Amino acid sequence: MTILIDQNTRVLVQGITGSVGAFQARIMLEYGTHLVAGVTPGKGGSSFEGIPIFNDVEKAVTETAPNAAICFVPAKFVRDAALEVIQTGIPLMVLTTEGVPEKDMLEVLAYARSKGTRIVGPDTPGIISPGICKLGVHPAMMFQRGTVGLVSKSGALSYEVGRVMTEAGIGQTTVVGIGGGPIWGSRQAEIVRMFFADPETQAVVMLGEVGGRMELEAAEYIKTHPEKPVIAMIVGRSAPEGAQMGHAGAIIEGHEGTAQGKIDALKAAGVLVATKPREIPELLREIGIKA
Amino acid sequence: MRLLEYQAKNLFRQHGIPVPRSVLVSSMADLRGLQYPQVLKAQVLTGGRGKAGAIQVVKDYAEAASTYPQLLGMKVKNESVHAVLAEQKQGILQEYYLSLLIDKVSAAPLFVASAFGGMDIEEVSREAPQKILKLAIDPLLGLQSFEIRKLAFFLGLPEKDLTPFMQALFEIYQAYDATLIEINPLAHTEAGLLALDAKLVLDDKARFRHEDLFTQLELEQKQNDGEYLDSSQKLAKEWEITYVPLTGDLGLVSDGAGTGMFTLDLIKDAGGFAANFCELGGLANADRMNKSLEILAQNPYVKTVMVSLIGGLTRMDDMAEGISTFVRKHPDRFKLVVRMCGTKADEGRAILAEYAIESGEDLVSEVARAVELAREAAL
Repeated sequence: MTILIDQNTRVLVQGITGSVGAFQARIMLEYGTHLVAGVTPGKGGSSFEGIPIFNDVEKAVTETAPNAAICFVPAKFVRDAALEVIQTGIPLMVLTTEGVPEKDMLEVLAYARSKGTRIVGPDTPGIISPGICKLGVHPAMMFQRGTVGLVSKSGALSYEVGRVMTEAGIGQTTVVGIGGGPIWGSRQAEIVRMFFADPETQAVVMLGEVGGRMELEAAEYIKTHPEKPVIAMIVGRSAPEGAQMGHAGAIIEGHEGTAQGKIDALKAAGVLVATKPREIPELLREIGIKA
Repeated sequence: MRLLEYQAKNLFRQHGIPVPRSVLVSSMADLRGLQYPQVLKAQVLTGGRGKAGAIQVVKDYAEAASTYPQLLGMKVKNESVHAVLAEQKQGILQEYYLSLLIDKVSAAPLFVASAFGGMDIEEVSREAPQKILKLAIDPLLGLQSFEIRKLAFFLGLPEKDLTPFMQALFEIYQAYDATLIEINPLAHTEAGLLALDAKLVLDDKARFRHEDLFTQLELEQKQNDGEYLDSSQKLAKEWEITYVPLTGDLGLVSDGAGTGMFTLDLIKDAGGFAANFCELGGLANADRMNKSLEILAQNPYVKTVMVSLIGGLTRMDDMAEGISTFVRKHPDRFKLVVRMCGTKADEGRAILAEYAIESGEDLVSEVARAVELAREAAL
């Protein structure tokens, strides 16, 4: 099994006629993802690669019954776009956009909680269950079907690790990018919990970075629920204090959020910690994951 | 965007938060006719003003006239003082702490309050967490009366006295996308409750909603702006590209924050010294790639640049176009080591090959090569 998305995932794309949305929607289609609807206000009635486009989400839901949405709209429109999706009760939504105002995210997440929609992101590549479904922008050639769950703050880092795992013949059940923060719809500990509950996932790889305390939360969860082996890598060991390292959430403030603090907490929770992607397939093999 | 104290207090006033009577001093003449004693406060963005001696109590005009120029000439943690606020000295009965901030963990606006104000709240939080109350507000319902009551009982203040402060803080959060509003101390004085200090941070990501306000605040802060920025930082700021200067000689550009931080770690592990951290964000195009190299070219110590790319959203053919644009203009400026894989990587590599720019797929070995080239260049 996979987590979050599978062969039954029916996808609605917001911003399907924009340059990024169109480019990525085409790649998702080629990958075999069931795109059932696009939404672009003003372009309702037309189509994209044979997929109907609607002016509003509600109509798209009535006519095409999607159960997941992915949003490719600019930051200033994300709040509105997300609220529109959440109101229809679609249970899963990926927000790819970077730079969404924090207050907007608080409102989106509060509404999502009240309606039971899971948000992944913002500022995320999304989710891929290799060989089955791709709800996002992951470069597909770096992943293959397998038994390891992969969760990462950074999109690109998950490509790095996916690539060396795949080269070593070790595939993934699902790869989840949770995003660069500083507000997250889904947190690392929640995704780890889902992987622990998935019978096909035999081990979990978690990629984190400096800033905040999300990796510490995950360490606490893993410590009290030592259900499956976890391998982690934390980047930013050489990041200076007080500088924002690209991601909005990647900033060391005082003693809070250093790479070493996270590495120590993860080790104390029984997590195997790698310093380079290449060590990850080796560690996976050592704990009995087969190619 | 962080506001200066007087800017924050102007917003406080507009929302009905009582603050001491004050004057932004622009000349000695402003110091005449004030009711002494006064507190002269250097207006800087960095914290720790009190400890740095940037806040001085003056008992009369003569003392003010000698202290004012001293404050103007000083630096607080490298930040020059360009403005001084003169504020009437208050008789304080008790100091409280009150703030509203965006809490990343609960994903909600969070009030933080304590009857032990005036000191470093993080310290209070560590040493005596029971002295602090944290109260998350539902972002959709907004602030409710029972929540104000809860905080008032905890602080031992009458609900009617606390209400205007909490309501105003919530209004400011909603109206201006504030991510932190802090009153420390919130002072109980003979004249009632007063906000003696004010800290306010606005969300840069919400600038599009408050363009006029941001522009005005920036204009006021302009004198403080740019003075510590080197030419790379200035360009980076203008072009809105993430750039963090470091002390080494190997330049670094990446197309993602995670890869960038990881490449930085690898450079260190390989015995190299990075000159900077620079990342384009998930939606980079050729123009931004070219501009990032222009930013790095401002640093004369950088002769070698590691370009660390792994394409998801970012297309490698676009990245290669950006790199080649730079190389056409500055053929011998850098030795470039390009790590490229992912979306449209084959197309990208073909473009780089036309300019005889080498590229590889394996990050660890490409970093090793870049560190080696930087070392040779330093010899």
